Parts: sequence; C-alpha cells; structure tokens
Amino acid sequence: MSGRTVITGIGVVAPNGIGADAFWKATKEGVSVLDTIGRDGFDGLPLRIAGQVREFDATAMVEERYVVQTDRFTHFAMAAADLALAQSGPPAPGGSPLDVAVVTAAGSGGGEFGQRELQKLWGRGSRHVGPYQSIAWFYAASTGQISIRGGFKGPCGVVASDEAGGLDALAHARRSLLRGTRAVVVGAAEAPLAPYSGVCQLGYEELSLVPDADRAYLPFTTSARGFAPAEGGAMFVVEDEQNAADRGATARAVVAGHAATFTGASRWAESREGLARAIRGALGDARLAPSDVDVVFADALGTPWADRAEALALRDALGPHASRVPVTAPKTGTGRAYCGAPLLDTAAAVLALEHDTVPPTPHVHEVCHDIDLVTERSRPAELRTALVLSRGLMGSNAALVVTTP
Amino acid sequence: MNSQLTYEELSGLMRSSAGVRVEQATLERDPETPFAEYGLDSLGLLGIIGELENRRGTSIAGDVDGCRTPHAFVDAVNASLAKGA
Repeated sequence: MSGRTVITGIGVVAPNGIGADAFWKATKEGVSVLDTIGRDGFDGLPLRIAGQVREFDATAMVEERYVVQTDRFTHFAMAAADLALAQSGPPAPGGSPLDVAVVTAAGSGGGEFGQRELQKLWGRGSRHVGPYQSIAWFYAASTGQISIRGGFKGPCGVVASDEAGGLDALAHARRSLLRGTRAVVVGAAEAPLAPYSGVCQLGYEELSLVPDADRAYLPFTTSARGFAPAEGGAMFVVEDEQNAADRGATARAVVAGHAATFTGASRWAESREGLARAIRGALGDARLAPSDVDVVFADALGTPWADRAEALALRDALGPHASRVPVTAPKTGTGRAYCGAPLLDTAAAVLALEHDTVPPTPHVHEVCHDIDLVTERSRPAELRTALVLSRGLMGSNAALVVTTP
Repeated sequence: MNSQLTYEELSGLMRSSAGVRVEQATLERDPETPFAEYGLDSLGLLGIIGELENRRGTSIAGDVDGCRTPHAFVDAVNASLAKGA
C-alpha cells in the first residue's frame, strides 16, 4: 500500500452535463444553465431559479426496478457511479466483494418519492402508501442501492454532515483505503427540486428568491442575494495508488488532504475562522504550503456576510498568496446541489488540473472582495494543486486538497 | 365475490409495484421459480399484497407475505379470497 489515495474514475450527473466530458466542456466555457424551475407544483412558490438536470432519463441509465423502487437522487447516484466505474474499470479484479466499499453524502434525501407517497397517504389513505417509501427517502438509500447493485460489500457508509459532507465523504473513503479496502465508490447526488423539497428550502434565509437567472446567484458581488439550488452530483472511484498501478488503471488525481470544522448554523462571520482552520488542516494533511495552492474552488455561498467570511478565510489561511491565487466558482452556472456541490467542484478541480485551465464563474462580472475571481472566460494556468472549499447551511466547513498524480 | 388472482394480474403487479418485469407466460410455465430469482424482494411482495387488498377491498389473510414462489403466492391469495367470500 502506498498510502496515497488516487481518483481513477469520475462520474458526473450535473445540470450542465451528464458525463465528465460534457460537464467539463460546459464548465470550461462558463455555460450557465440556471433557469426557471419547470416542474409541476412550483407555480405558487417564491423560489423560481435553480439548476435542473433536464437531460437525465432514468429509464435509460438505471434498471426499471430501481426506477420504481428508489428516488431520483438515487437514480442520479447510480448513473454517476456507473459512469465512474466505466472509466476506472473493475477496481478490484480477482478480489472479494469485501474489497470495494460505497460511501455517499446526503443532505436532502428522497423528497420526490416521499412527496408522492405522502400525497397517497393524505389523498387516499395509509393503505395506499407503498412499502418502498420505507427505504427510498432515506439518506442511506444511494449507498445501499449502489452496494446491492454492484455487489460492493466493503465498509459502506453515509455521511450526513451538511453540504460540506460531500468532501467529508471523500475523506471517509480515504480512511477506509488506509485500513485496507481496495477501492471505494464515493460521492453524492441530490434531487431537491420536488415541490415538497422546494418548500423545505424556503426556510433558508440564504436561498435566493431572485426570479431572474442572470441575477439569482451572484457571489462575491454587491448584488449577492443568496444561492440558487440545484440537483445532481458526482461519484468517484478512489483507490490506493498501488492498487491502481497493479491493475493498470490511470490515476487522474490524488486526494491529498482534508479537514473539517463546525461553526454553527448560519453563523457566517464565524465561518471565517472555521474555513481558515479547515484550509490549514487540509494543507497540513497534504504536507503542502499555502503558496503551493494553484487554484481555489470557492464555496461561494452568495450572501454578503458569507462571501466576506470566505474571502477573509482565504487571506487568513493563505496569507499574501490569497490575493494572487486564482479563485473560481463554476457553480454560479449550475446552482448549488447541496452535498453534490463540493463533489461537482472536486470533479471540476480534477479536470482543471488535467487541462491546466481554470474555469470561469458564470454571471459574475464585478467582484467586491480582495480575491482574484476568474470571471468571463477560462484562464490557462499551470496547475498542480487545487483547493476545494465547502460550507453547509447548518454550520459545517470543509477543505479538500487534490493534486496531480 | 372477489375475482381470483391470475398470473396475468400478478405479472402486472410485479411490474407496477416493484419494477420487476416477468411475462405472464413465464410465470405460467414455471410457477416454482422463486420471486428472489426475478429480483423481487420482500418489500416488493408486501407492495403487491397491499395493492391487491386495495383492489379487492378486503384484507388478505394467512402467510401470503412468506410465499417464495408465484405458485405458492397465487394459491395462498386465492385461498384467502375464497374464505373471505
């Protein structure tokens, strides 16, 4: 065992593309797909703008039994896992089912399935609620179903630690590898755009209710009014570098460092210290210096206090390097897919390292913080180390360092 | 009186309640193949029983949720329906 965790497969189901190639093309070009939510049941809701995975056809990517028995967030995760595994190849050839594990993060669960069953409960009575409701809504559903479907019986888990849990899931997978698991299928996908889920989100003061796709999600600007939500996410195949080498799989990037902190729900001023500590912790874990960071994928929550805290956290943790390093937030073109968001950023970070290109931050033109936010178009740069940041509405903060192999 | 459960209806229920597609002819030809081999789990069978109870407007008694094959299930359901009638 080398002790180094490498990414050998990337599967993306995002509002701006399905599959890593389509996702990268749209991300690099700064395409925005934020638009008006077209689902039935949203007419009366003040939430108008989100990132929807419009091209996804569950029946084309997932067997019928899973389409019927599981929620959309699990359909996304299964499809993304398939894409990642197709790229990596079988991660433990000749091994036992116990060699491969599944870890996902989940923040909103199976809202669409749950809403359908609750409508049966109150519309027709309890005898009309199907038994799959007992498992389909549950945060653990995607891990369980991917494990069953793929026969992956290693140490499976679900991280329910807020949006930043997406990064914590990768850290959890890395720890499993250090304990001897050969490979982990890891990531998160969310589907929070059923009307029921939309109503749940209305309680978040950080949610943007701006009805115009060009103005709904403008982090780091004086027009910041919150974030636009999104559905989708990414799954990865991660394994020890030696395992990848032994089976001839290509290591696309190294998961080099991670740290997480907690500073309390919606306490954005305090998130400055939490995020700075997470950055320092992740860099320490990776044995890298602040000046080694070549690009930052920002959390970019999109409220003035949260944006300020993030810009200051970068200054606190990176020192003078903070005003030189390129920062980007491609999620302004797709919305924030809760736990899926930092994993989409991780996918974008790996692709950025591979292409020596920093993708831009769609919609954002004038930045009002002392950071070098990449706007308008992508920027070529020699990239070896990327820092991915994430915060959750409930107070979690996390930082992840990925490097070239 | 309630109509008996046929393999045709069971085939439809397996698909609509659990997304498991097995043709009526397959069930008729080989009714002893366990549900598990088709990928129908215990939750799936519970869903089928619930839907049958809603359709017939009566509860189905006996150990129907313990049936492992289409043959055993159809027999047990029909025995219960006959008693109820």
